[in-house]
Amino acid sequence: MSRIIGIDLGTTNSLVAFLGEDGPAVVPDPGTGARLLPSAVAFLPSGEVVVGERARELAVERPLDTILSVKRFMGLGFEHVTAADRQRYRFVEGGEGIVRFDVGGRTVTAPQVSSYILRELKRWAEAALGEAVTQAVITVPAYFNDSQRQATKDAGRLAGLEVLRLVNEPTAASLAYGLERGAEGVVAVYDLGGGTFDVSILKLRGGVFEVLATNGDTRLGGDDMDERLATLLLAELPAEIGSRPEVRARARAAAERAKRVLSEAPRTEMVLTLSGREPVRRAVTRAELEDLIREIVLRTASPCRRALKDAGLEPAEVREVVAVGGATRVPLVRRTMEELFQRPPLVDLNPEEVVALGAGIQAGILGGSRRDMLLLDVVPLSLGIATMGGVFTRLVDRNTTIPVSVKETFTTAVDNQTAVDIHVLQGERELAADNRSLARFKIPIDALPAGVPRLEVTFLVDANGILSVTAADLRTGCERSVEVKPSYGLTDEEIERMLEESFDHAETDVQERQVREARVEAEMILHATREQLTRAATLLEPDEGEQIRAALRSLETLRDGEDYLAIRDAIEALSRVSEPFARRIMDRSLNEAMAQRRLEEL
Amino acid sequence: MDTQATGERQCWRCRQDVTALVCPRCDAVQPLSGEPDLFAVLGLPRRLVVDPVDLEQRYHETSRLVHPDRFQTAGARERELSVDASAAVNRAYRTLRDPIALGRYWLALNGVALGGGQQGVPPALAAQVFAIQEQLEELRAARAEEAPSHRREVSERREEVAARLARLRGELLELYAADGGPGLEDLRQRLAEIAYLRTLLGDIDETLEEGAA
Repeated sequence: MSRIIGIDLGTTNSLVAFLGEDGPAVVPDPGTGARLLPSAVAFLPSGEVVVGERARELAVERPLDTILSVKRFMGLGFEHVTAADRQRYRFVEGGEGIVRFDVGGRTVTAPQVSSYILRELKRWAEAALGEAVTQAVITVPAYFNDSQRQATKDAGRLAGLEVLRLVNEPTAASLAYGLERGAEGVVAVYDLGGGTFDVSILKLRGGVFEVLATNGDTRLGGDDMDERLATLLLAELPAEIGSRPEVRARARAAAERAKRVLSEAPRTEMVLTLSGREPVRRAVTRAELEDLIREIVLRTASPCRRALKDAGLEPAEVREVVAVGGATRVPLVRRTMEELFQRPPLVDLNPEEVVALGAGIQAGILGGSRRDMLLLDVVPLSLGIATMGGVFTRLVDRNTTIPVSVKETFTTAVDNQTAVDIHVLQGERELAADNRSLARFKIPIDALPAGVPRLEVTFLVDANGILSVTAADLRTGCERSVEVKPSYGLTDEEIERMLEESFDHAETDVQERQVREARVEAEMILHATREQLTRAATLLEPDEGEQIRAALRSLETLRDGEDYLAIRDAIEALSRVSEPFARRIMDRSLNEAMAQRRLEEL
Repeated sequence: MDTQATGERQCWRCRQDVTALVCPRCDAVQPLSGEPDLFAVLGLPRRLVVDPVDLEQRYHETSRLVHPDRFQTAGARERELSVDASAAVNRAYRTLRDPIALGRYWLALNGVALGGGQQGVPPALAAQVFAIQEQLEELRAARAEEAPSHRREVSERREEVAARLARLRGELLELYAADGGPGLEDLRQRLAEIAYLRTLLGDIDETLEEGAA
């Protein structure tokens, strides 16, 4: 069985990690050694798709064709697109259902955009592990609703990854924290990322990580801070220039850099270079930044209070507060955390990596290598159905431990009804219309007087926090199992079609595609192995080098042929003979990585 | 009603006699009986006195054995059994750790309907509830300059209701521990009052939060 990887699919940056012999480790970009992949995807008119650092740079020249915070759009419907979103991106107008971007002359959905990021991370992991990767754990904000979770799973599928588990980000962070610290007791995880805020209260005991409550805001994060800071810079420009998308993109990038500097220094200067103009300069102090972002930071307070209340705890009962997400480097955020929980937050875990490390640990748990640890997570938002008078009737309360299965019996309100409309919703409001619609379907029943039919509705929420609904007519015994099709999701057919299209459309020939894929894979492993041979020759056992080189040569010869099965066999042969060697290198580089981190901490 | 956790009397895999959720011999997760006994799910006798420390320990131990994380690489049937069993274990813990949920479950086991919210205001509460509803109305309608004094009043009522709830809860535990346990009708009335006060507390909190936003 190949290794399961853990992915932190972030708003701003994404990472991939796995659980090795010596604990969890982040996998770097095999080319540059970078540990963070900017969650940026650029769609060029040529049809080329660029991911990561280069895409983020392209965002400045081609802001409309580069999607920077795709996570904000996962699982959303067209009607959720805001005016601010429209300033940043072009959407396919007038559509119903899922949001579609118009980029570089084509139409893409948020799961498709995310799948490019996932594919790149998959490539990193494959280069590091020297084997194909097909299964993953992906983290999601705890406060993601059912549609957003479904969308994340779809993105995995589009990237050729079987998503074994969706793990809530703060919970993942707590795994990494718990493993590193071996701590017991109640812990709060305060996770302020680029675009989402989560807070979770957990109880750690004897290797069991039990989430007591979670809360958050899926549209609140560091991006909002950059946006505010950028307005200072844009105010120095005439309005007709300041409103141009590429100027705004540059201003945001400058603001983001300034925000980072201001976490360390009391003042800095934002510089905006525009062609044919004098550079625009704007000095900014930390105090000024804090005034601008105070309202944003304070919006994290009420989710924290609600989570504590739902957990039935006072702030003083929380033993430690763990800071997660890049935005928790901002001093005002740290002070706010301290006020809310009445103790200084724990900041010595790398807030940008801790979620990915946790995802790697959960991948290891699922793979069976950590049987001592167990995660008990919760459903973040209540689930229920609309009943008479548009009232929201809850079947599953928020913060119920998953998996959860609940049955309730309903009847009709009108004589001779021949069908019952089941409208599934998620949220905390009393009226159905105020909550998020997840799915809607009809169950046929026999025509009977009102109050006579007996319809049993079962909600099952699995360990990913994803819901399925069954309805049974208890009088006839006729059962209908209904898979909840998210109102703002992709259908199976759409995913299939996208999978097809994601390969080059020009080449529909299956044979050709197979050959091409096999060659790409061959190239990857050849490159990785050659590099390992030169870099770590001292780790070779006697004769091992010669064996590996022989397998390498045979793959080199076959690579240019048309027989993809032969190429695949050769790839397999090479990875089999080089596997022990690769493992030794991995262990060594893990040790090195850890030593380096300790040094940095000094 | 079945006092077992499982639907079978023998382990489906190794044929060992089994009443627990997990086969003591081969660790196979067993299929549930239609409505599993929530005490049996955690290996407890049917009693209203539950030791919270022991309960949590049983919950964690059983979860380790049945949680879907343990069956990621198993076959479809085992994965399905694990989700069902894990959901039952979660339900059992949620029910047994909370004296109110436990009381309601006890009534259901004994075939007594609680009556839910359709019963109207319990007579003992009628006057108090009426006064509170009125104050909530006033707060919702209050103009900005009057709001603070209304908020104060409502907050005071909130504390009274919360205190009463806490007292009723404490009394429940005493009742459970007493010789012979509670009479079913006595328990039903207490639980109905608690249910009512909880809804009321929810309304108060919502109104206060709306005002604060």
